[in-house]
Amino acid sequence: MAWGEYPASYNPNVHGPYDPARFYGKADTALAKVKLGELTSWLARRDLSLGGISGGISRGFWRWQHKYMQPKKVGIAPYVQITVGAMIFFYTLNYGKMKHHRNVKHHW
Amino acid sequence: MLSRIALKPVRSAIQPIRMTQTSATSNAASAATTESPERDLVNFPRPVRQEYPGKVRMGFIPDEWFQFFYSKTGVTGPYTFGLGLATYLCSKEIYIMEHEFYTGLSIAIMGIYAVKKLGPATAKFLDAEVAKSDAEMNAGRDMAIAEAKARIAAEKIEQDRALGMKMLFDAKRENVALQLEAAYREQLVKVFSETKKRLDYQVEVQNVQRNLEQRHVVDWVLRSVRAAVTPEQEKATLSQCIANIKSLAQQNTVRI
Repeated sequence: MAWGEYPASYNPNVHGPYDPARFYGKADTALAKVKLGELTSWLARRDLSLGGISGGISRGFWRWQHKYMQPKKVGIAPYVQITVGAMIFFYTLNYGKMKHHRNVKHHW
Repeated sequence: MLSRIALKPVRSAIQPIRMTQTSATSNAASAATTESPERDLVNFPRPVRQEYPGKVRMGFIPDEWFQFFYSKTGVTGPYTFGLGLATYLCSKEIYIMEHEFYTGLSIAIMGIYAVKKLGPATAKFLDAEVAKSDAEMNAGRDMAIAEAKARIAAEKIEQDRALGMKMLFDAKRENVALQLEAAYREQLVKVFSETKKRLDYQVEVQNVQRNLEQRHVVDWVLRSVRAAVTPEQEKATLSQCIANIKSLAQQNTVRI
């Protein structure tokens, strides 16, 4: 799989039109269904290469798009989600400076 | 030759209907006919745009996250978790409430108020706009479908008309046969009358000839008889006639 190509497991003859939100490889257990004891083996099975990670982010983005942004009668939810996400993102970015505003005196 | 001309428009009208049929099926069955045989439509159906977005709580938190908690902790679980996490973050000052926090809080309150107050009206307006834009985008396709349907209806009418043309041609053929029959009979009558005229002519000719002959013979006889009569005979006859008249007169006077 080179840059800009479809995933190797995608076969247009079987899968039809490409859905960027979909994983076309062999499906693993969903994270929400994984038992705690199996979490390490589940994590070990993840594709942590650059392409795998970027593909996962891309699929997540498109899943969010299809679910919250693209429907016909969309509400304000996706915009609030973006706002909250941005708040958390920039809060973590600025956390080093925020630390100086702590009111803590005696405990850690 | 006429029949060939009559069939021409029908034949040309058949082709567009075939075109519309294929396009109609590809529209209706979502191109199922053109898919390859190994296509898996059960596990990989064609993606469809959703009508409504995913359910959220408190404006932005996905409902699935709450569902994830329900089977393990019950209904209050997610709230307990959220409140506990917030308490922990605030208590340990991982989340620090500096001056911007209160700005954010007031902005959030204003935002929530605005959403509650203006949301429904905005949603109504935007839904109308979306419906309008959808209608605009579908207009071409809807028009093509309506046109195809109209063309199918017109084609059916044309086919009925073609059948009607068949009937019409039968009627015309019958008409021509009748005309031929009439012409034939007319000619028969003509032949009859012409023949009769000629025969009548022959009869007339013979009649005239016989008359002429008769007259001629009569004339000839008269002429020869006149020639044979002498003045003496004439006189004798005259006197004989007078004598006859006299005797007749005598007889009649006696009777009177």
